Amino acid sequence: GGSNRSAIWLDTGIHSREWITQATGVWTANKIAEEYGRDPSVTAILDSMDIFLEIVTNPDGFAFTHSSNRLWRKTRSINAGSRCVGVDPNRNWDAGFGGPGSSSNPCSETYHGPHAHSEREVRAIVDFIRAHGNVKSVISIHSYSQMLLFPYGYRRAPAPDHQEMSELAKKAVSDLAAVFGTKYIYGSIANTICECPSLIPQQIPREWAPTWAPLPADMAGGTTIDWAYDNGVKYSFTLELRDSGRYGFLLPSSQIVPTATETWPALLDIMVHVLEHPY
Amino acid sequence: SPAMELPPGHLPAARAAAVAVGYLRYLRGGPARGLELRELRRARRQDIDDVGHKYCLELELEDVLDKDSTVTCTAEVLYHLGSKSSAPDVQVTVQGELRSTEEADKEFYHRIRSLEKELVAENIPDSHGNVPPELEPIHLLAWAASGYITWQNSTENTKLHLAQVKHVRQVKRSDEDLQFDFVVLLHEMVSQEVLPWEVTVLWHPQHGARVSQCHAVGAGR
Repeated sequence: GGSNRSAIWLDTGIHSREWITQATGVWTANKIAEEYGRDPSVTAILDSMDIFLEIVTNPDGFAFTHSSNRLWRKTRSINAGSRCVGVDPNRNWDAGFGGPGSSSNPCSETYHGPHAHSEREVRAIVDFIRAHGNVKSVISIHSYSQMLLFPYGYRRAPAPDHQEMSELAKKAVSDLAAVFGTKYIYGSIANTICECPSLIPQQIPREWAPTWAPLPADMAGGTTIDWAYDNGVKYSFTLELRDSGRYGFLLPSSQIVPTATETWPALLDIMVHVLEHPY
Repeated sequence: SPAMELPPGHLPAARAAAVAVGYLRYLRGGPARGLELRELRRARRQDIDDVGHKYCLELELEDVLDKDSTVTCTAEVLYHLGSKSSAPDVQVTVQGELRSTEEADKEFYHRIRSLEKELVAENIPDSHGNVPPELEPIHLLAWAASGYITWQNSTENTKLHLAQVKHVRQVKRSDEDLQFDFVVLLHEMVSQEVLPWEVTVLWHPQHGARVSQCHAVGAGR
């Protein structure tokens, strides 16, 4: 490091209640360090690239989940003029900011904040990635749902690199499933996570939209990876880790090591692809 | 209009599946059985003029206490057009047998009936996802009750999961039923909100679980 080499960015814990993510971040950091010099892929990656891993990306929220409310999601910003605290850090990015899937109500779990990058947690990453200038991949880790997602969330039209991202996602979830059989689905955030363009409605003006049209409730304006993608970081992915709803955010700690273990090959697939496809 | 085949990853299909599973979890779940979706195998949607949207689903379910055994179900979920206050109609047909829970049900029933003090507990699971073994049946019963709440309160644009049992209090009854008053936290996946609900569940080994009352706890945080 230190020479502004190409870099991969990973973050965990941006939503504080998603405790499996911070734990997976710690395990993964250790794994990367362990495998350097042992695993050829990890060695090749670290010999020419840097990996940045932010583990407790929402520290105030995380502290709050320990002290007061285990299910707290947002930051702990005071909202002027409101009793309600906190901004959703994954709606605060300047990509489709304020769009569907985010709320202008400070009391909402998806409150986007007073303006893009209002949250210092988000601003810190924006400033870092911009100043670095050579980040080639952003992988933002969440839970739960067992999905591997790529841009866009704030628009329905496929991203220009949709095909390549989709093929990489397919390989990654297949290698993840090979470990313990855990099934993930993959696709872009906004769309119906399928390879069926005929089901994706054409962009039509809102006032002409028939009342039965699928509401853009799956869309999300202002997400991390949409911002990254729009700012030149091609390989931008969001992972939603275990489980699919039985425990949700309160995943048993006995599942930390299995979750991190199965996620590792998926992360490695992405990182190897980034290494082998410089741009 | 004709039925449209949907890919399994299609989010509205997944939401309809969650309603069907919630319904079935309520009907067939209990302290010794928790039904979970293993796979949505097939989904079709039909838009019925002046009625609503009907989803026809093929599901594979597993019992969380016996993961090797699965059953296949077909389900129809009809969301009524424009009606936010009416629950979706659900029909489910289960192919095959679910493992019998008679022994475990009897054991749970007698254990609770012979408690001197009414059972009280909170935060199930705890922050680290742990459920003490003696509270696992209570967790599963709350999960069955949340299946009812999910079924009754879902729309095409919501997906509810039980996040945590905040509080449970047993209420001793003079009749044969066990009664548990729960406060459950439901996580709604589209809005990401955590919604507290109060729900009273009656349970008996032969009669299964019945929600006798439930309501959302007033807003305010």
